[in-house]
Amino acid sequence: MGDADAYVDAASALVGLTIAEAHRPGVLRFLELAARMADTLERVDLGDDLALAPVYLPPDLRRAR
Amino acid sequence: MNDPESPWASAAETALAVSTGATSAAAVVEAALARVAALNGRINAYTDVTAERALREAAALDAARAAGAALGPLAGVPFAVKNLFDVTGLPTRCGARINRDRAPATADAELVRRMNAAGAVLIGALNMGEYAYDFTGENAHDGVCRNPHDPERMSGGSSSGSGAATAAGMAPISLGSDTNGSLRVPAALCGVFSLKPTYGRLSRAGTFPFVDSLDHVGPFARTARDLALAYDALQGPDPADHCCADRAVEEVTPGIDFGAGGLRIGVLGGWFRANAEDGALAAVSRAAEALAGAAEIGALSLDAAEAGRAAAYIITNSESAAFHLDRLRTRADDFDPDTRDRFLAGAILPAAWASRAQRVRRWWLGQALAAFRSFDVLLAPATPCAAPFVGERSLRLNGREVMLRPSLGVLAQPFSCIGLPVATAPVFAAGSMPLGVQIIAAPWREDLCLRVARALEEAGAAIAHRPHSAALH
Repeated sequence: MGDADAYVDAASALVGLTIAEAHRPGVLRFLELAARMADTLERVDLGDDLALAPVYLPPDLRRAR
Repeated sequence: MNDPESPWASAAETALAVSTGATSAAAVVEAALARVAALNGRINAYTDVTAERALREAAALDAARAAGAALGPLAGVPFAVKNLFDVTGLPTRCGARINRDRAPATADAELVRRMNAAGAVLIGALNMGEYAYDFTGENAHDGVCRNPHDPERMSGGSSSGSGAATAAGMAPISLGSDTNGSLRVPAALCGVFSLKPTYGRLSRAGTFPFVDSLDHVGPFARTARDLALAYDALQGPDPADHCCADRAVEEVTPGIDFGAGGLRIGVLGGWFRANAEDGALAAVSRAAEALAGAAEIGALSLDAAEAGRAAAYIITNSESAAFHLDRLRTRADDFDPDTRDRFLAGAILPAAWASRAQRVRRWWLGQALAAFRSFDVLLAPATPCAAPFVGERSLRLNGREVMLRPSLGVLAQPFSCIGLPVATAPVFAAGSMPLGVQIIAAPWREDLCLRVARALEEAGAAIAHRPHSAALH
Protein backbone atom coordinates (compact mmCIF):
# COMPACT_ATOMS: atom_id res chain seq x y z
CA MET A 1 0.00 0.00 0.00
CA GLY A 2 1.09 3.58 -0.52
CA ASP A 3 0.76 5.94 2.41
CA ALA A 4 -1.18 3.56 4.64
CA ASP A 5 -1.19 5.92 7.62
CA ALA A 6 -2.82 8.67 5.59
CA TYR A 7 -5.35 6.21 4.21
CA VAL A 8 -6.26 5.02 7.73
CA ASP A 9 -6.77 8.62 8.85
CA ALA A 10 -8.91 9.59 5.87
CA ALA A 11 -11.00 6.43 5.61
CA SER A 12 -11.65 6.11 9.33
CA ALA A 13 -12.78 9.75 9.52
CA LEU A 14 -15.13 9.11 6.61
CA VAL A 15 -16.92 6.31 8.50
CA GLY A 16 -16.83 8.09 11.85
CA LEU A 17 -14.28 5.78 13.41
CA THR A 18 -11.47 6.87 15.69
CA ILE A 19 -8.42 4.63 15.49
CA ALA A 20 -6.53 4.91 18.79
CA GLU A 21 -2.76 5.13 18.44
CA ALA A 22 -2.43 1.87 20.38
CA HIS A 23 -4.57 0.12 17.77
CA ARG A 24 -2.90 1.62 14.70
CA PRO A 25 -0.02 -0.88 14.28
CA GLY A 26 -2.48 -3.78 14.33
CA VAL A 27 -4.82 -2.05 11.92
CA LEU A 28 -1.94 -1.40 9.51
CA ARG A 29 -0.87 -5.04 9.74
CA PHE A 30 -4.36 -6.27 8.87
CA LEU A 31 -4.78 -3.70 6.11
CA GLU A 32 -1.58 -5.00 4.58
CA LEU A 33 -2.93 -8.57 4.78
CA ALA A 34 -6.20 -7.46 3.16
CA ALA A 35 -4.23 -5.72 0.42
CA ARG A 36 -2.42 -8.98 -0.33
CA MET A 37 -5.78 -10.72 -0.59
CA ALA A 38 -7.03 -7.97 -2.90
CA ASP A 39 -3.95 -8.49 -5.09
CA THR A 40 -4.84 -12.17 -5.38
CA LEU A 41 -8.36 -11.19 -6.44
CA GLU A 42 -6.98 -8.80 -9.06
CA ARG A 43 -5.00 -11.58 -10.66
CA VAL A 44 -8.19 -13.48 -11.59
CA ASP A 45 -9.21 -12.62 -15.16
CA LEU A 46 -12.91 -11.84 -14.88
CA GLY A 47 -13.13 -9.79 -18.09
CA ASP A 48 -16.38 -7.86 -18.15
CA ASP A 49 -18.30 -10.53 -16.31
CA LEU A 50 -20.17 -8.76 -13.52
CA ALA A 51 -21.83 -11.77 -11.93
CA LEU A 52 -21.79 -11.34 -8.18
CA ALA A 53 -22.12 -14.33 -5.89
CA PRO A 54 -25.13 -13.06 -3.91
CA VAL A 55 -28.23 -12.96 -6.08
CA TYR A 56 -31.36 -11.19 -4.94
CA LEU A 57 -34.49 -13.09 -5.91
CA PRO A 58 -37.74 -11.25 -5.32
CA PRO A 59 -40.38 -13.48 -3.79
CA ASP A 60 -43.43 -14.50 -5.81
CA LEU A 61 -46.32 -13.56 -3.55
CA ARG A 62 -48.68 -15.90 -5.40
CA ARG A 63 -46.50 -18.83 -4.24
CA ALA A 64 -46.36 -17.53 -0.68
CA ARG A 65 -50.15 -17.62 -0.29
CA MET B 1 -21.45 -51.26 23.47
CA ASN B 2 -20.63 -48.54 25.99
CA ASP B 3 -22.46 -48.01 29.26
CA PRO B 4 -25.09 -45.42 28.21
CA GLU B 5 -24.12 -43.24 31.17
CA SER B 6 -20.43 -43.33 30.21
CA PRO B 7 -19.00 -40.09 28.80
CA TRP B 8 -17.86 -42.12 25.81
CA ALA B 9 -21.24 -43.61 24.95
CA SER B 10 -22.38 -42.62 21.48
CA ALA B 11 -25.57 -40.62 21.12
CA ALA B 12 -27.13 -43.60 19.33
CA GLU B 13 -26.31 -45.90 22.27
CA THR B 14 -27.66 -43.45 24.81
CA ALA B 15 -30.87 -42.81 22.86
CA LEU B 16 -31.52 -46.54 22.52
CA ALA B 17 -30.96 -47.13 26.23
CA VAL B 18 -33.22 -44.25 27.26
CA SER B 19 -35.93 -45.17 24.76
CA THR B 20 -36.05 -48.78 25.92
CA GLY B 21 -35.86 -47.92 29.61
CA ALA B 22 -32.46 -49.56 30.08
CA THR B 23 -31.46 -46.32 31.74
CA SER B 24 -33.19 -43.04 32.50
CA ALA B 25 -32.58 -39.68 30.87
CA ALA B 26 -32.12 -38.29 34.38
CA ALA B 27 -29.24 -40.69 35.09
CA VAL B 28 -27.55 -39.84 31.77
CA VAL B 29 -27.89 -36.11 32.32
CA GLU B 30 -26.72 -36.24 35.93
CA ALA B 31 -23.60 -38.13 34.81
CA ALA B 32 -22.96 -35.59 32.04
CA LEU B 33 -23.33 -32.64 34.42
CA ALA B 34 -20.97 -34.28 36.91
CA ARG B 35 -18.36 -34.76 34.20
CA VAL B 36 -18.62 -31.13 33.12
CA ALA B 37 -18.26 -30.02 36.74
CA ALA B 38 -15.18 -32.20 37.17
CA LEU B 39 -13.36 -31.31 33.94
CA ASN B 40 -14.37 -27.87 32.80
CA GLY B 41 -11.89 -26.08 35.01
CA ARG B 42 -9.09 -27.73 33.02
CA ILE B 43 -10.55 -27.46 29.52
CA ASN B 44 -12.74 -24.34 29.76
CA ALA B 45 -15.16 -25.51 27.10
CA TYR B 46 -18.35 -24.39 28.87
CA THR B 47 -19.21 -20.79 29.65
CA ASP B 48 -22.68 -21.63 30.98
CA VAL B 49 -24.10 -24.86 32.40
CA THR B 50 -27.88 -25.10 32.23
CA ALA B 51 -28.20 -27.78 34.92
CA GLU B 52 -31.65 -26.89 36.17
CA ARG B 53 -33.08 -26.85 32.67
CA ALA B 54 -31.30 -30.10 31.77
CA LEU B 55 -32.69 -31.96 34.77
CA ARG B 56 -36.16 -30.62 33.97
CA GLU B 57 -35.91 -31.77 30.34
CA ALA B 58 -34.63 -35.19 31.42
CA ALA B 59 -37.44 -35.63 33.93
CA ALA B 60 -39.99 -34.74 31.24
CA LEU B 61 -38.52 -37.41 28.93
CA ASP B 62 -38.63 -40.05 31.65
CA ALA B 63 -42.21 -39.12 32.47
CA ALA B 64 -43.19 -39.28 28.80
CA ARG B 65 -41.69 -42.73 28.48
CA ALA B 66 -43.41 -43.91 31.65
CA ALA B 67 -46.69 -42.70 30.12
CA GLY B 68 -46.06 -44.83 27.06
CA ALA B 69 -44.99 -42.11 24.64
CA ALA B 70 -42.41 -42.91 21.94
CA LEU B 71 -39.25 -40.85 22.41
CA GLY B 72 -37.25 -39.11 19.68
CA PRO B 73 -34.09 -40.36 17.93
CA LEU B 74 -31.87 -38.43 20.36
CA ALA B 75 -33.78 -39.29 23.52
CA GLY B 76 -31.81 -38.27 26.59
CA VAL B 77 -28.67 -37.35 24.65
CA PRO B 78 -26.87 -34.42 26.29
CA PHE B 79 -25.87 -31.61 23.94
CA ALA B 80 -24.38 -28.13 24.22
CA VAL B 81 -24.19 -25.16 21.88
CA LYS B 82 -21.63 -22.51 20.95
CA ASN B 83 -22.63 -19.43 22.89
CA LEU B 84 -23.81 -17.58 19.79
CA PHE B 85 -26.99 -19.71 19.83
CA ASP B 86 -29.85 -18.12 21.75
CA VAL B 87 -30.67 -20.03 24.92
CA THR B 88 -33.70 -18.82 26.84
CA GLY B 89 -32.60 -16.93 29.92
CA LEU B 90 -28.99 -16.34 28.86
CA PRO B 91 -27.57 -13.26 27.16
CA THR B 92 -26.20 -14.46 23.81
CA ARG B 93 -22.61 -13.54 24.50
CA CYS B 94 -21.01 -14.66 21.21
CA GLY B 95 -17.66 -14.70 22.98
CA ALA B 96 -17.82 -10.94 23.53
CA ARG B 97 -17.73 -8.82 26.67
CA ILE B 98 -19.93 -6.29 24.91
CA ASN B 99 -22.72 -8.82 24.38
CA ARG B 100 -23.00 -9.57 28.08
CA ASP B 101 -24.94 -6.32 28.31
CA ARG B 102 -27.66 -7.83 26.14
CA ALA B 103 -30.95 -8.85 27.69
CA PRO B 104 -31.31 -12.59 28.23
CA ALA B 105 -32.75 -14.40 25.23
CA THR B 106 -36.50 -14.87 25.47
CA ALA B 107 -36.57 -17.91 23.19
CA ASP B 108 -34.22 -20.67 22.05
CA ALA B 109 -32.53 -20.67 18.66
CA GLU B 110 -34.40 -22.78 16.12
CA LEU B 111 -31.78 -25.54 16.13
CA VAL B 112 -31.88 -25.79 19.92
CA ARG B 113 -35.63 -26.29 19.60
CA ARG B 114 -35.13 -28.98 16.97
CA MET B 115 -32.58 -30.85 19.11
CA ASN B 116 -35.01 -30.71 22.02
CA ALA B 117 -37.82 -31.94 19.78
CA ALA B 118 -35.67 -34.98 18.89
CA GLY B 119 -35.28 -35.71 22.60
CA ALA B 120 -31.80 -34.25 23.18
CA VAL B 121 -31.18 -32.42 26.45
CA LEU B 122 -29.39 -29.06 26.54
CA ILE B 123 -26.70 -28.98 29.21
CA GLY B 124 -24.95 -25.71 28.44
CA ALA B 125 -23.41 -23.04 26.24
CA LEU B 126 -19.84 -23.22 24.97
CA ASN B 127 -16.78 -21.02 24.74
CA MET B 128 -15.91 -19.48 21.36
CA GLY B 129 -13.68 -16.88 19.77
CA GLU B 130 -15.04 -13.35 20.03
CA TYR B 131 -17.77 -12.72 17.46
CA ALA B 132 -16.58 -15.94 15.76
CA TYR B 133 -13.52 -14.16 14.27
CA ASP B 134 -11.02 -16.77 15.32
CA PHE B 135 -9.29 -20.04 14.45
CA THR B 136 -7.39 -20.53 17.75
CA GLY B 137 -9.78 -21.01 20.68
CA GLU B 138 -8.24 -18.10 22.58
CA ASN B 139 -10.61 -15.58 24.12
CA ALA B 140 -9.53 -12.58 26.20
CA HIS B 141 -12.81 -12.46 28.14
CA ASP B 142 -13.66 -16.12 28.78
CA GLY B 143 -10.14 -17.54 28.72
CA VAL B 144 -8.45 -20.06 26.49
CA CYS B 145 -10.46 -23.12 25.53
CA ARG B 146 -7.86 -25.88 25.77
CA ASN B 147 -7.32 -28.96 23.65
CA PRO B 148 -8.40 -32.12 25.52
CA HIS B 149 -5.53 -34.04 23.89
CA ASP B 150 -2.97 -31.59 25.31
CA PRO B 151 -4.20 -28.61 27.32
CA GLU B 152 -1.06 -26.69 26.41
CA ARG B 153 -2.32 -26.61 22.83
CA MET B 154 -5.09 -24.75 21.04
CA SER B 155 -8.53 -26.28 20.60
CA GLY B 156 -9.03 -24.39 17.36
CA GLY B 157 -11.81 -21.90 16.73
CA SER B 158 -14.06 -20.30 16.59
CA SER B 159 -16.31 -23.19 17.75
CA SER B 160 -13.61 -23.99 20.31
CA GLY B 161 -15.85 -25.13 23.15
CA SER B 162 -17.86 -27.33 20.79
CA GLY B 163 -14.83 -29.24 19.52
CA ALA B 164 -13.26 -29.49 22.97
CA ALA B 165 -16.45 -30.51 24.81
CA THR B 166 -17.24 -33.28 22.34
CA ALA B 167 -13.65 -34.54 22.29
CA ALA B 168 -13.42 -34.54 26.09
CA GLY B 169 -16.57 -36.60 26.63
CA MET B 170 -18.43 -33.57 27.96
CA ALA B 171 -21.12 -33.54 25.23
CA PRO B 172 -21.64 -36.36 22.70
CA ILE B 173 -23.15 -33.80 20.35
CA SER B 174 -22.50 -30.08 20.18
CA LEU B 175 -23.53 -27.37 17.76
CA GLY B 176 -21.26 -24.76 16.27
CA SER B 177 -21.03 -22.36 13.37
CA ASP B 178 -18.68 -22.07 10.41
CA THR B 179 -18.06 -18.91 8.41
CA ASN B 180 -14.53 -19.71 7.27
CA GLY B 181 -13.76 -23.04 8.92
CA SER B 182 -15.03 -22.85 12.49
CA LEU B 183 -16.73 -26.26 12.41
CA ARG B 184 -13.75 -27.86 10.69
CA VAL B 185 -10.68 -26.41 12.42
CA PRO B 186 -11.78 -27.36 15.98
CA ALA B 187 -12.99 -30.78 14.78
CA ALA B 188 -9.59 -31.44 13.21
CA LEU B 189 -7.50 -30.12 16.11
CA CYS B 190 -9.61 -31.85 18.80
CA GLY B 191 -10.08 -35.10 16.84
CA VAL B 192 -13.85 -35.37 16.33
CA PHE B 193 -16.31 -35.37 13.41
CA SER B 194 -18.18 -32.29 12.22
CA LEU B 195 -20.52 -31.43 9.39
CA LYS B 196 -20.64 -28.04 7.72
CA PRO B 197 -23.74 -28.48 5.58
CA THR B 198 -24.48 -26.68 2.33
CA TYR B 199 -24.94 -22.92 2.80
CA GLY B 200 -28.65 -22.42 3.43
CA ARG B 201 -29.37 -25.98 4.54
CA LEU B 202 -29.75 -25.39 8.29
CA SER B 203 -31.58 -22.53 9.94
CA ARG B 204 -29.50 -19.83 11.59
CA ALA B 205 -32.55 -18.25 13.24
CA GLY B 206 -31.74 -17.23 16.78
CA THR B 207 -27.98 -17.16 16.32
CA PHE B 208 -25.80 -14.07 16.60
CA PRO B 209 -24.46 -13.36 13.09
CA PHE B 210 -20.90 -12.88 11.91
CA VAL B 211 -21.02 -12.69 8.09
CA ASP B 212 -24.48 -13.17 6.61
CA SER B 213 -23.04 -14.11 3.20
CA LEU B 214 -21.01 -16.98 4.66
CA ASP B 215 -22.46 -18.09 8.00
CA HIS B 216 -23.32 -21.78 8.35
CA VAL B 217 -24.30 -23.83 11.43
CA GLY B 218 -23.82 -27.53 12.06
CA PRO B 219 -23.08 -30.37 14.47
CA PHE B 220 -20.00 -32.03 16.04
CA ALA B 221 -20.03 -35.68 17.19
CA ARG B 222 -17.66 -38.53 18.04
CA THR B 223 -19.08 -40.95 15.48
CA ALA B 224 -20.27 -40.52 11.91
CA ARG B 225 -23.64 -42.03 12.80
CA ASP B 226 -24.17 -39.56 15.64
CA LEU B 227 -23.28 -36.76 13.26
CA ALA B 228 -25.92 -38.01 10.83
CA LEU B 229 -28.54 -38.41 13.57
CA ALA B 230 -27.97 -34.84 14.74
CA TYR B 231 -27.96 -33.46 11.19
CA ASP B 232 -31.23 -35.20 10.36
CA ALA B 233 -32.82 -33.76 13.50
CA LEU B 234 -31.68 -30.26 12.51
CA GLN B 235 -32.85 -30.21 8.89
CA GLY B 236 -35.91 -28.54 7.43
CA PRO B 237 -36.90 -25.15 6.04
CA ASP B 238 -37.35 -22.13 8.29
CA PRO B 239 -38.80 -18.85 7.05
CA ALA B 240 -37.24 -17.13 10.09
CA ASP B 241 -33.81 -17.39 8.39
CA HIS B 242 -33.86 -15.54 5.08
CA CYS B 243 -31.18 -17.80 3.59
CA CYS B 244 -32.59 -21.14 4.77
CA ALA B 245 -33.53 -23.08 1.65
CA ASP B 246 -37.08 -24.20 1.11
CA ARG B 247 -36.09 -27.86 0.85
CA ALA B 248 -37.67 -30.87 2.43
CA VAL B 249 -35.66 -32.94 4.89
CA GLU B 250 -33.30 -35.32 3.04
CA GLU B 251 -32.38 -37.86 5.72
CA VAL B 252 -28.85 -39.20 5.57
CA THR B 253 -28.93 -41.68 8.44
CA PRO B 254 -30.73 -44.46 6.51
CA GLY B 255 -28.00 -44.49 3.84
CA ILE B 256 -24.97 -43.89 6.00
CA ASP B 257 -23.73 -47.48 5.68
CA PHE B 258 -23.89 -47.55 1.87
CA GLY B 259 -20.08 -47.29 1.83
CA ALA B 260 -17.79 -45.64 -0.68
CA GLY B 261 -18.32 -48.24 -3.40
CA GLY B 262 -18.62 -46.72 -6.85
CA LEU B 263 -17.69 -43.22 -5.74
CA ARG B 264 -15.06 -41.22 -7.60
CA ILE B 265 -12.87 -39.56 -5.00
CA GLY B 266 -10.43 -36.80 -5.86
CA VAL B 267 -7.43 -36.00 -3.65
CA LEU B 268 -6.63 -32.28 -3.84
CA GLY B 269 -3.01 -31.47 -4.56
CA GLY B 270 -1.42 -28.26 -5.84
CA TRP B 271 -2.23 -25.28 -3.63
CA PHE B 272 -3.69 -27.53 -0.92
CA ARG B 273 -0.54 -29.63 -0.85
CA ALA B 274 1.72 -26.58 -0.79
CA ASN B 275 -0.07 -25.18 2.27
CA ALA B 276 -0.04 -28.30 4.44
CA GLU B 277 2.63 -29.95 6.54
CA ASP B 278 3.62 -33.59 6.01
CA GLY B 279 1.43 -34.88 8.85
CA ALA B 280 -1.70 -33.27 7.46
CA LEU B 281 -0.94 -34.66 4.00
CA ALA B 282 -0.30 -38.10 5.45
CA ALA B 283 -3.77 -38.05 7.04
CA VAL B 284 -5.32 -37.43 3.61
CA SER B 285 -3.22 -40.22 2.08
CA ARG B 286 -4.32 -42.57 4.86
CA ALA B 287 -7.97 -41.72 4.14
CA ALA B 288 -7.53 -42.23 0.39
CA GLU B 289 -5.84 -45.59 0.94
CA ALA B 290 -8.66 -46.72 3.21
CA LEU B 291 -11.21 -45.91 0.52
CA ALA B 292 -9.22 -47.26 -2.41
CA GLY B 293 -10.62 -50.79 -2.18
CA ALA B 294 -14.14 -49.64 -2.91
CA ALA B 295 -13.87 -46.22 -4.51
CA GLU B 296 -12.03 -44.96 -7.55
CA ILE B 297 -9.29 -42.61 -6.35
CA GLY B 298 -7.86 -39.83 -8.50
CA ALA B 299 -5.86 -36.66 -8.04
CA LEU B 300 -6.58 -33.10 -9.05
CA SER B 301 -5.40 -29.58 -8.49
CA LEU B 302 -7.89 -26.87 -7.78
CA ASP B 303 -5.59 -23.91 -7.46
CA ALA B 304 -8.40 -21.40 -7.96
CA ALA B 305 -9.01 -22.11 -4.27
CA GLU B 306 -6.32 -19.55 -3.44
CA ALA B 307 -8.47 -16.80 -4.96
CA GLY B 308 -11.54 -18.30 -3.29
CA ARG B 309 -9.79 -18.03 0.04
CA ALA B 310 -8.86 -14.41 -0.68
CA ALA B 311 -12.48 -13.65 -1.56
CA ALA B 312 -13.62 -15.22 1.71
CA TYR B 313 -11.11 -13.12 3.63
CA ILE B 314 -12.21 -9.82 2.11
CA ILE B 315 -15.96 -10.57 2.33
CA THR B 316 -15.56 -11.62 5.95
CA ASN B 317 -13.42 -8.65 6.91
CA SER B 318 -15.60 -6.00 5.28
CA GLU B 319 -19.06 -7.44 5.98
CA SER B 320 -18.39 -8.28 9.63
CA ALA B 321 -16.77 -4.91 10.33
CA ALA B 322 -19.71 -3.07 8.78
CA PHE B 323 -22.01 -5.10 11.03
CA HIS B 324 -20.00 -4.14 14.13
CA LEU B 325 -19.30 -0.57 13.06
CA ASP B 326 -21.29 1.07 15.82
CA ARG B 327 -19.66 -1.11 18.47
CA LEU B 328 -16.25 -0.27 16.98
CA ARG B 329 -17.07 3.44 17.14
CA THR B 330 -18.19 3.40 20.75
CA ARG B 331 -16.55 0.43 22.49
CA ALA B 332 -13.36 -0.48 20.65
CA ASP B 333 -11.52 -1.02 23.92
CA ASP B 334 -14.06 -3.63 25.03
CA PHE B 335 -13.23 -5.91 22.08
CA ASP B 336 -10.78 -8.76 22.41
CA PRO B 337 -7.47 -7.22 21.26
CA ASP B 338 -7.06 -10.20 18.94
CA THR B 339 -10.20 -9.39 16.97
CA ARG B 340 -10.40 -5.61 17.38
CA ASP B 341 -7.64 -4.51 15.05
CA ARG B 342 -8.83 -6.82 12.29
CA PHE B 343 -12.39 -5.51 12.62
CA LEU B 344 -11.09 -1.91 12.57
CA ALA B 345 -9.14 -2.60 9.40
CA GLY B 346 -12.18 -4.26 7.84
CA ALA B 347 -14.27 -1.15 8.47
CA ILE B 348 -12.13 0.90 6.11
CA LEU B 349 -11.53 -1.51 3.23
CA PRO B 350 -12.24 -0.05 -0.22
CA ALA B 351 -15.70 -1.02 -1.47
CA ALA B 352 -14.13 -2.06 -4.78
CA TRP B 353 -12.29 -4.88 -2.99
CA ALA B 354 -15.49 -6.20 -1.43
CA SER B 355 -17.35 -6.08 -4.74
CA ARG B 356 -14.56 -7.83 -6.59
CA ALA B 357 -14.47 -10.48 -3.89
CA GLN B 358 -18.12 -11.30 -4.62
CA ARG B 359 -17.34 -11.61 -8.34
CA VAL B 360 -14.35 -13.86 -7.69
CA ARG B 361 -16.46 -15.89 -5.29
CA ARG B 362 -18.88 -16.67 -8.14
CA TRP B 363 -16.00 -17.44 -10.51
CA TRP B 364 -14.45 -19.80 -7.93
CA LEU B 365 -17.81 -21.58 -7.54
CA GLY B 366 -17.76 -22.31 -11.27
CA GLN B 367 -14.21 -23.69 -11.05
CA ALA B 368 -15.11 -25.93 -8.11
CA LEU B 369 -18.35 -27.21 -9.64
CA ALA B 370 -16.42 -28.26 -12.75
CA ALA B 371 -14.40 -30.64 -10.56
CA PHE B 372 -17.60 -32.48 -9.65
CA ARG B 373 -18.03 -33.55 -13.28
CA SER B 374 -15.10 -35.90 -12.68
CA PHE B 375 -15.42 -36.59 -8.96
CA ASP B 376 -18.21 -37.20 -6.45
CA VAL B 377 -16.16 -36.26 -3.42
CA LEU B 378 -12.92 -34.36 -2.82
CA LEU B 379 -10.45 -34.87 0.03
CA ALA B 380 -8.19 -32.21 1.54
CA PRO B 381 -6.50 -31.55 4.87
CA ALA B 382 -8.69 -29.58 7.28
CA THR B 383 -5.77 -27.63 8.72
CA PRO B 384 -2.16 -27.15 7.62
CA CYS B 385 -0.88 -28.75 10.85
CA ALA B 386 -1.88 -30.23 14.21
CA ALA B 387 -2.81 -27.93 17.09
CA PRO B 388 -0.21 -25.22 17.78
CA PHE B 389 0.67 -24.33 21.36
CA VAL B 390 -1.52 -21.76 23.09
CA GLY B 391 -0.08 -18.29 22.59
CA GLU B 392 1.73 -18.99 19.33
CA ARG B 393 1.34 -16.05 16.97
CA SER B 394 2.83 -17.17 13.70
CA LEU B 395 2.66 -20.13 11.36
CA ARG B 396 5.00 -21.36 8.64
CA LEU B 397 2.86 -21.70 5.52
CA ASN B 398 4.13 -22.51 2.03
CA GLY B 399 7.61 -21.31 2.91
CA ARG B 400 6.45 -18.04 4.50
CA GLU B 401 5.97 -16.93 8.08
CA VAL B 402 2.34 -15.72 8.40
CA MET B 403 0.02 -14.55 11.18
CA LEU B 404 -1.43 -17.67 12.79
CA ARG B 405 -4.86 -16.42 13.79
CA PRO B 406 -6.11 -15.57 10.29
CA SER B 407 -4.24 -18.46 8.64
CA LEU B 408 -5.01 -21.67 10.55
CA GLY B 409 -8.18 -22.09 8.50
CA VAL B 410 -6.61 -21.37 5.14
CA LEU B 411 -7.53 -24.81 3.73
CA ALA B 412 -11.10 -24.63 5.02
CA GLN B 413 -11.97 -21.11 3.82
CA PRO B 414 -12.32 -21.84 0.10
CA PHE B 415 -15.23 -24.25 0.66
CA SER B 416 -17.30 -22.17 3.07
CA CYS B 417 -16.78 -19.31 0.62
CA ILE B 418 -18.94 -21.17 -1.90
CA GLY B 419 -21.13 -23.04 0.56
CA LEU B 420 -20.13 -26.63 -0.30
CA PRO B 421 -21.01 -29.33 2.26
CA VAL B 422 -17.95 -30.66 4.11
CA ALA B 423 -17.66 -33.37 6.72
CA THR B 424 -14.47 -33.37 8.77
CA ALA B 425 -13.21 -36.79 9.83
CA PRO B 426 -10.57 -37.34 12.53
CA VAL B 427 -7.62 -39.26 11.03
CA PHE B 428 -4.84 -39.76 13.58
CA ALA B 429 -3.21 -42.42 15.72
CA ALA B 430 -4.38 -42.92 19.31
CA GLY B 431 -2.12 -40.99 21.66
CA SER B 432 -0.96 -38.50 19.04
CA MET B 433 -2.25 -34.99 18.33
CA PRO B 434 -5.33 -35.11 16.08
CA LEU B 435 -5.62 -34.12 12.45
CA GLY B 436 -8.69 -33.94 10.27
CA VAL B 437 -9.58 -34.62 6.66
CA GLN B 438 -12.17 -32.57 4.82
CA ILE B 439 -14.68 -34.63 2.79
CA ILE B 440 -16.14 -32.17 0.29
CA ALA B 441 -19.15 -32.75 -1.95
CA ALA B 442 -21.25 -30.81 -4.44
CA PRO B 443 -24.00 -28.57 -3.04
CA TRP B 444 -26.81 -30.45 -1.24
CA ARG B 445 -24.89 -33.77 -1.22
CA GLU B 446 -24.29 -34.04 2.51
CA ASP B 447 -25.28 -37.68 2.08
CA LEU B 448 -22.00 -38.36 0.26
CA CYS B 449 -19.95 -36.55 2.91
CA LEU B 450 -21.53 -38.65 5.65
CA ARG B 451 -21.25 -41.92 3.70
CA VAL B 452 -17.53 -41.39 3.14
CA ALA B 453 -16.98 -40.33 6.76
CA ARG B 454 -18.73 -43.51 7.91
CA ALA B 455 -16.74 -45.64 5.43
CA LEU B 456 -13.52 -44.21 6.85
CA GLU B 457 -14.70 -44.98 10.35
CA GLU B 458 -15.70 -48.51 9.37
CA ALA B 459 -12.24 -49.02 7.84
CA GLY B 460 -10.61 -47.85 11.07
CA ALA B 461 -9.05 -44.82 9.40
CA ALA B 462 -11.22 -42.18 11.07
CA ILE B 463 -11.74 -42.61 14.80
CA ALA B 464 -12.38 -40.00 17.45
CA HIS B 465 -9.83 -41.52 19.83
CA ARG B 466 -10.26 -40.67 23.49
CA PRO B 467 -7.68 -38.16 24.68
CA HIS B 468 -4.85 -39.67 26.72
CA SER B 469 -4.23 -36.35 28.41
CA ALA B 470 -3.95 -36.40 32.21
CA ALA B 471 -6.28 -33.41 32.23
CA LEU B 472 -9.17 -35.79 31.61
CA HIS B 473 -8.42 -38.25 34.40
